[in-house]
Amino acid sequence: MSGSAPDQIGISRTVSTPTTDAAAPAGAAAGGSAKTPPPPLVPSTTSAERLALAKKHGLRPLNVRPPLGEYIRDLASRWAFIRVLASSTAYARNQNNYLGQLWAVLNPILNAGVYVLIFGVLLKLSRDVDNSIAFIVIGVFMYRFVEASVTGGAKSISGKTQLLRSLHFPRAVLPMSTVLSLLNTLVPAIVVMCAITLLSGFLPTYEMIHVTWWWLLLPAAVALLWVFNTGLAFLMARFVAGTPDLENVLPFVMRVVMYASGVIFPVVSKVDELEMHETARAVVGGILEYQPVAVFLYLVRSVLMQEETIPPSGLMWAIGAAWAVLFFVIGFVVFWRGEERYGRD
Amino acid sequence: MTEADEHMDFDLEIEPEDEGEEALETELGDPCLVVDDLHVVYRVIGGRAKKEAEKQGTEVREVEVKVPFWRKLLQAGRRHVGAVSEVHAVRGVSFTVRHGESVGIVGINGSGKSTMLRAIAGLIPPRSGSVHVSGEPSLLGVNAALMPQLSGERNIMIGGLALGLTPRQVEEKFDEVVEFAGIGDFVYLPMKTYSSGMGARLRFAISSAASPDILMIDEALATGDAAFKERSKARIEEVRARAGTIFLVSHSISTIEAMCTRVLWMHQGQLVMDGPVHEVAEAYKKFILAQRPAMDPARRRARQRKRAAEAAARRAAEEAELRAAEEAARRKAEEAERKAAEAERKAAEAERKAAEAERKAAEAAAQGPAS
Repeated sequence: MSGSAPDQIGISRTVSTPTTDAAAPAGAAAGGSAKTPPPPLVPSTTSAERLALAKKHGLRPLNVRPPLGEYIRDLASRWAFIRVLASSTAYARNQNNYLGQLWAVLNPILNAGVYVLIFGVLLKLSRDVDNSIAFIVIGVFMYRFVEASVTGGAKSISGKTQLLRSLHFPRAVLPMSTVLSLLNTLVPAIVVMCAITLLSGFLPTYEMIHVTWWWLLLPAAVALLWVFNTGLAFLMARFVAGTPDLENVLPFVMRVVMYASGVIFPVVSKVDELEMHETARAVVGGILEYQPVAVFLYLVRSVLMQEETIPPSGLMWAIGAAWAVLFFVIGFVVFWRGEERYGRD
Repeated sequence: MTEADEHMDFDLEIEPEDEGEEALETELGDPCLVVDDLHVVYRVIGGRAKKEAEKQGTEVREVEVKVPFWRKLLQAGRRHVGAVSEVHAVRGVSFTVRHGESVGIVGINGSGKSTMLRAIAGLIPPRSGSVHVSGEPSLLGVNAALMPQLSGERNIMIGGLALGLTPRQVEEKFDEVVEFAGIGDFVYLPMKTYSSGMGARLRFAISSAASPDILMIDEALATGDAAFKERSKARIEEVRARAGTIFLVSHSISTIEAMCTRVLWMHQGQLVMDGPVHEVAEAYKKFILAQRPAMDPARRRARQRKRAAEAAARRAAEEAELRAAEEAARRKAEEAERKAAEAERKAAEAERKAAEAERKAAEAAAQGPAS
């Protein structure tokens, strides 16, 4: 620091006491009435001078959104945090029960049981498929992953204001670890899903299901779904952080998506029964068939089941990969653009 | 704002062990934090606090959000639907802090201390103005990241990673953190089983493990026993010796006097005083005492006695807890020793028997050829 600098910036370094950045002497108010606090200080430096001082000493401005590249690098360096936070959240979820981590398996079994009982046995909604138990179980398990990612992603920022106000880290950590923790709980659920799928074939009226080489593609399908869900969680986190009211609407949206995605019965075949114009029917059918959730359900079913109406399809894999990448990239960028505002209100 | 704020109104706590202590004067370096005309505004959704707040002199105003027509229709019942208020918590604060300074922030409740601390830590985005820092400021507050259902061990990992350490660094610091927190084998139990003092100590130990350039503390020292306070003070001096900077928000004016060299006094979101610790502390004490309703000397003495008794009881309880833990550890060690001795004795016996058997065999062998 040169000798003339302190005068320019209005701060003298010769004071033995700490820097007093104010024009008014600190002790001035002590003589006044003790009942009222001293009047607000008037800074002795102007805003421009302070900014110049900050620049001169190479200080970094806070609360400025980092460039995308830097943000990605920062996020990548926090991968261990994302992983540990995810596995801890998944573990803590079942920690307060007597059966503990066993619930990670029991919960999906009970869930599948309810849906199979109501929709498969009582309502017989899936008459168009040979093995409706496998159809419903796969649909329900995979869809629950999507739904939990959406609701979890929505809460990942808005529900963690305290955390955002105490620690500094790329906020994208939160939605990512939320979805990763759901993936953690999905792994035991997938084992249950495969077991039920296989066992259902031994029931009299249901088509036998065999373990084929196609089963090896299951992790790939789940990985695509994971990437897609992370993108969804990014979008939801940003939207709900801006407008908390959206969280109340989400459950209804998700229920509509559930019935429109063929989770419980093949929805595409129902479109043909609708009374509408030929082109309109084609458009509605196309949307229902190729929208992301339906595509991912198709992929998992085509891998695990030997259903004639759901043959393995390269086109569907390409579409699934495209949806996953598209949602992830758009979601990430949308989320990043709000980075400096999370935790304000 | 912390929960503690809500209960204590005008308070002037004196911690007896802090009396007469003074913060170390260190050489001041270059500026490391510049705050320029900082304004922080909270958006409060779901409340129209204007009238209530005005009564109390707080700055709250309703937002004039430009709303489309359809939304205005929705806002027909404006009191409960779509109510948005703003709280102007920090109103134009500017100051400069240098390397090696230890800055205390005082002010009555609701004066914007905690909000400002979070804003200059970069955790609450300001409405306008800017904060410039060197290095990474760190607010003591990993508690938000910690999970009560999980063990202290797991939480040390989570907290350390949240602070930006690598897993390897956390493992290296693990023993140090456990020792600093003084929780011993409790580290392997879920955090919800900890006493509040143990939890607070572990949190402080984790958050200060990352050795930040700018350490910000919000009432964190209020918990913990005297020994722990001593250790935290040493940790703070350590940061300052490395030319780091400390910010401390506390209700205890004696803690501020013992640990800080400079004090900022905030009132209604503005800086009203900024200077060396003694000057500001004196003025602030006068102000607080003037705010208090007059109290007759007998009542004041009674109150002081009550406080002293409470403090003593608290300390005794903590000591008892510590002693109980030690006792348990000792008993465990004794048990282990006893078992070890037993095992040794058995081993010796077995050896003896083996030797005897050998001896007999040898005897038999000797007799064999003889007969």
